[in-house]
Amino acid sequence: MEIVTVREDVWGREVLLGVSWDWLWVILALTFAAIVVHLLIMAVLRKQPRPSAAGKRLTRHDNFDRSFHWIMAISTLVLLFTGVLPIIGYDFNWLTIHWIAGLVLTGAVLLHVIRAVFFQDFGSMVVAPKDLKEPFEKGRKPGKYSLAQKGMHHAMTLLVLVVIGTGLVLFLQIDTPWWDRPNSLAESTLGWMFVLHGVSTLGLVGLTALHVYFALRPEKRFYTRSMISGWISEDEFSANHDPARWMPDETARS
Amino acid sequence: MSNEYLHIGKNFVPPDIYGKVTGKARYAEDYSVDGMVYARLFTSPMPHARVRNIDASAALAMDGVLGILTADDVPAVEAPNAAILTNEPVYVGDPILAVAAVDEKTAENALKKIKVDLEPLPFVVDPLASLKPNGPSARTEGNVYPSEMQNLQWSAEDLNRFQQGEEPTGAAPTEWSYGDLEAGFDNAAVVIEESFVTTGYAHMSMEPRSVLSYWRGNKCYVHGSTQSQSFVVPFLAGMLGIEQGDLVYISEYCGGGFGSKISAYPVLGLPGYFAKKLNRPVMLRITREEEYYIGSARVGFQGWMKAGFAEDGRVTAVDLYIVQDLGPRRTGGDASSAGGAISILYQPQAMRLRDVPVFTNTTPRGAQRGPGQNQIAAIFEPMLDKAARELNLDRLAIRRINAPDSSATLNADQGPVTSAYMDDALALGGELFKWSERVQRSGQRRGSKVTGVAVGQGYHSAGASGFDGLVRITPDGKLHLHSGVGNLGTYSYASTTRAAAELLKCSWDNCVVHHGNSSLHLPWSSYQAGSNTMFTHTRANHVAAMDLLTKMKDIAAQTLGGDAADYDIADERVFKASDNTRSMSYAEVAAKAIELGGAYSGESYPEDIHEVTQRAVTGIAGSGLVGVAKDKLPKRGTAPGLAVAFCEIELDLETGKHQIIDYLAVGECGTIVHPQGLAGQLRGGAVWGFGMASLERHVYDPQNGLPANVGYYQTKPPTYLDVPSHMGWAAVDKADPDSPVGARGIGEPAMGCATAAVMCALSEALDGHLFNRTPVTPDMIINHISDGPQAASLMAINTF
Amino acid sequence: MAAHDVMPDIELFQPITVEDASAIAARLDGAGWILAGGQDTYGWLKDRAKHPGAMIDLAAIEGINGINATASGISIGAMTTLRDVMRDPLIAEKFPILTQAAGRVASPQIRNQGTLGGNVAQDTRCWYYRRGLSCYRAGGNICYADSPEGMNREHALFGASRCVAVSPSDTATALVAVDATMVIHREGREKRVPAEQFFIGPAINITHMTVLRPGDILTHVEIPNTWANTESYFEKVADRDVWDFALVSIAAVMKTSGGVIDDARIVCGAVECVPRRLRSVEQALRGKPRNEQTADAVAGLASGGARTLNHNQFKVPLMENLVRRALRT
Repeated sequence: MEIVTVREDVWGREVLLGVSWDWLWVILALTFAAIVVHLLIMAVLRKQPRPSAAGKRLTRHDNFDRSFHWIMAISTLVLLFTGVLPIIGYDFNWLTIHWIAGLVLTGAVLLHVIRAVFFQDFGSMVVAPKDLKEPFEKGRKPGKYSLAQKGMHHAMTLLVLVVIGTGLVLFLQIDTPWWDRPNSLAESTLGWMFVLHGVSTLGLVGLTALHVYFALRPEKRFYTRSMISGWISEDEFSANHDPARWMPDETARS
Repeated sequence: MSNEYLHIGKNFVPPDIYGKVTGKARYAEDYSVDGMVYARLFTSPMPHARVRNIDASAALAMDGVLGILTADDVPAVEAPNAAILTNEPVYVGDPILAVAAVDEKTAENALKKIKVDLEPLPFVVDPLASLKPNGPSARTEGNVYPSEMQNLQWSAEDLNRFQQGEEPTGAAPTEWSYGDLEAGFDNAAVVIEESFVTTGYAHMSMEPRSVLSYWRGNKCYVHGSTQSQSFVVPFLAGMLGIEQGDLVYISEYCGGGFGSKISAYPVLGLPGYFAKKLNRPVMLRITREEEYYIGSARVGFQGWMKAGFAEDGRVTAVDLYIVQDLGPRRTGGDASSAGGAISILYQPQAMRLRDVPVFTNTTPRGAQRGPGQNQIAAIFEPMLDKAARELNLDRLAIRRINAPDSSATLNADQGPVTSAYMDDALALGGELFKWSERVQRSGQRRGSKVTGVAVGQGYHSAGASGFDGLVRITPDGKLHLHSGVGNLGTYSYASTTRAAAELLKCSWDNCVVHHGNSSLHLPWSSYQAGSNTMFTHTRANHVAAMDLLTKMKDIAAQTLGGDAADYDIADERVFKASDNTRSMSYAEVAAKAIELGGAYSGESYPEDIHEVTQRAVTGIAGSGLVGVAKDKLPKRGTAPGLAVAFCEIELDLETGKHQIIDYLAVGECGTIVHPQGLAGQLRGGAVWGFGMASLERHVYDPQNGLPANVGYYQTKPPTYLDVPSHMGWAAVDKADPDSPVGARGIGEPAMGCATAAVMCALSEALDGHLFNRTPVTPDMIINHISDGPQAASLMAINTF
Repeated sequence: MAAHDVMPDIELFQPITVEDASAIAARLDGAGWILAGGQDTYGWLKDRAKHPGAMIDLAAIEGINGINATASGISIGAMTTLRDVMRDPLIAEKFPILTQAAGRVASPQIRNQGTLGGNVAQDTRCWYYRRGLSCYRAGGNICYADSPEGMNREHALFGASRCVAVSPSDTATALVAVDATMVIHREGREKRVPAEQFFIGPAINITHMTVLRPGDILTHVEIPNTWANTESYFEKVADRDVWDFALVSIAAVMKTSGGVIDDARIVCGAVECVPRRLRSVEQALRGKPRNEQTADAVAGLASGGARTLNHNQFKVPLMENLVRRALRT
């Protein structure tokens, strides 16, 4: 199976057309398989006692961050569905929704990046050398984010930045309320844009599916709750985090 | 049109008609020989490129694929001449290689497997883009071709002025002039100054130029499609690198050439080389799309013109500046011909032509019916109308006051004409068309429709000299008329031979026309183009018949006694004028000629006849009484072909569409030789002229050099509902003194006058608005009426 | 470079029932090409710009050829030739704009061979696309026509979504105007689609011009009596009067009483990828007399929302003029 598809340019030379969308099914299958394997492993492993949600509530995500997360999540899902459904044969007027969602995502990501870099504890998401010991040392606990969470975030970051970057270039090629499309990108450049946009989309399909899966897993569900309502319990905190590396505030309400 | 002639001025059935109407006519593509294989072309996808590598291994490995032919297998030619195949394609569709296989489908499938690695080179589809500072050159050797390859770039200011339609200041490599231009403009009551664009468009030959070639020993047989017959032989032999005598060239029918098949075009030589390489007969069928690539197009003009008119309408001075769109190959006489046409049609007292012939990476250009004359007719005639309006003169009157007569002069050297009776044509047409009555309704509006009544004129030089005639009477009494004239669709291959039948007073039933195959002993001929054949070959046939007549009388005198001068001919007998019982039939004379030998039967021949004719005479030597001669009759100047067209149109201001309600063409081409043929020329030329004025399309995308016009429906030649159901014709029918039968040619002006008439009528219907551009299309008219901008910039070319 | 004119090897199916044709087409998926009159087909195939593996010829199928009066209107088999549509007295009596539209298709030779189904289902004539270039419509990722210096005189004013090609069909405008229903055989069932929804633009599907999908067979076009014998107007403006595609065409039907327009359907061709209903004009017409004043008052609405390209500005006034002409009595 080809990774990319090619077409002939205006003079009959081979140029990149985009990613081969057959890979969509492969990615979906692999993601599904990974989830099944994980489910099996988790079923075999003895269930750890789950920390209690009761007690003092500690702030994990403030309102801003939660809003950004959900804006990004919704726009990403809209982008994925509007991008992928027409490819697999569902005809609808997708492009306008797609680029509007793309602009929303771009704006949210931009604000998030600015906020995370300049106004928040940027280091909390940096993978430090000691984080790498996490999987190997029993009892070693992470700061605010586990290595797995950081890994997921960084992979997502990379893919989203690529998809946004290429998406913006492609956005410049279409009609919008603000400009008539120039439609003037070199054909080979255009091909690269579509390939990168497609590859990152495929990655996002897989990662998003995994992200949703983990968000729904019973032992991780408190993180999902924290992304909705902002808090984790003291018990959840002490079971999963090293207070030396992250000390959250108490929430106003309990 | 009744006259004392037996044949001249009478209709007849040309012998090729039967084949054409029954479908038995065989064009090059209809031939098949044992072992024949099929070739297909790989043509350039890029407008300008260099071949870096050709990998045909996958194609050659296919079953049934026999080989490829590349530029390395054919002679290289010097730029800007056209090679059979090239490693530096200069337009989209330029043939790079050919592949041959046992059948066409295999060859076609093989094409897809050939990998040609091309390096794109700079390209240009609008001459002005090449003239700008650091503009691209269509050819690596240079961008202009005054008569040698040169590089020319204008300053940004020069270019800008030209693009704004102002008086050009950019350098022009070619210039000619006569008279005092400044004085001419000083003496003018009205000066009209306009910029203009005429789009070049495809020749659109109905029969694509398919070719079959095979070898028998050293002899190469070529079945091709050309307008000319004998004229092709030396050029094709040269292209194939063989002796003329080793070439058998067959082109009995030509399904249209229109200037694109005058002589040996490059692809005509391809199957010869391929057949030699493969040792198999090779058929190369050309597709419709390929015909649009290699089949040539008219030269386009981007120009500026200033014309001065005296109070009485006389043209005092014309200053003409033309940038020619040459395509990528050697051509370029159109600008000078345009100047020549103005110089004769309006007899300006002073004139200047400046010419900038620029290469573009568009389809190769070549002479197309009235090359130069017809483009300028479309532009100058509406300008003439504008002058008439400003001077308050009738539009027919302004033409009559400028009309050339037999004292007319033309071109830079202001040479003479053989004769000219343009005023007669204008007067006759005006009367037949009821000009003075109809012109009253020009400009009148009914609902959304406006009437335009107009007159247009066309010119082309129409006659050459110095070619050969060959006739023969065989012992069966038949007069064999050997015609080296090609069968381009005008019937002139046959109608010109009637000058010999006329002189020899021979019934047409007893005449046999030989043509279309060089092995049928055909004499040297002019090319069948430039409206020249009627004049040129009635003369050549006449002198050959004179030679035969002299010999016949000699033989009669030798046989029956007395002096040759005592003998006359009638009813296919030669007899003593004083005693018509002493006579011989033509059959008897022919038998006697064989007996006598020598010049009588073609055993010897005049030294001044062309090599082609010499071989033809040798071929028929001993088979009868042979008349052969080179035309050395006096010719005192240019033989002009002149035509006038009158038309009435209705232009719908809401749709931009016009309908030609009525059309009349008047030929001024000397004596009418073949009325039906003349009618066909006047009407056919008109249809083409309508196309040039408002329909025919030539579009290139400047971003990638791709042509949009690669099929009939895309190029839009007029259809039967785009032309009036009735088109009238007439002719002045006054003999030209330098033609033994009084005839001159008409082909090209027949089109130019129609283009001019429609352009003028459109202008009339729009209150005198000049588009100064061909074609004028509905979108342009709608944009004009709605005060919107035109889509194409003022001087852009190849945009419709 | 593509200049082929040589028919490729291709499998030919000649089913005699719609069910078989549909089943074969469904089995072949995208590799099956439905062949009606062939007037659009052979160019694609000989140019080798499309590469189906098989043709499914509908010529032998009974029951999808011919014109019949029904209780509610007229049913026209999709395989009915344009010549037969043009010459049918019933159509001429009830829906003269269809007669006129069919009569303006291409040339007599093409009308003798071409079918109504083929005419509505034909592909666009964008010259870049027809050249076999890998543009959006051909599954690529670029439009050559709508580029900075693209040659797009014949292209779209409306509804361009990356692709600016227009609907080339003359009969399509008329059929949308008379509110025809396209009867499609799909997976053993009959699917009825209003003509207006039969045609789709690039925003919905950039590689298809109709809702037809592999396995679908357009079997009939049904025209209800709703607009029968109403006032109507058809005009096609093309460069040539034979064998040319519309620069702009118009098909209009109007119900009037006492010279006042009660209702109207007005459709323009060659301005969008689909036949374009001029709804704002239709609305503005209701209750107005059919005359020059009304024509002048509403014509400007026709081009509302038009986005012109480099070379097609003229279509705006041309559209408006055609609306004027349609509304004059």
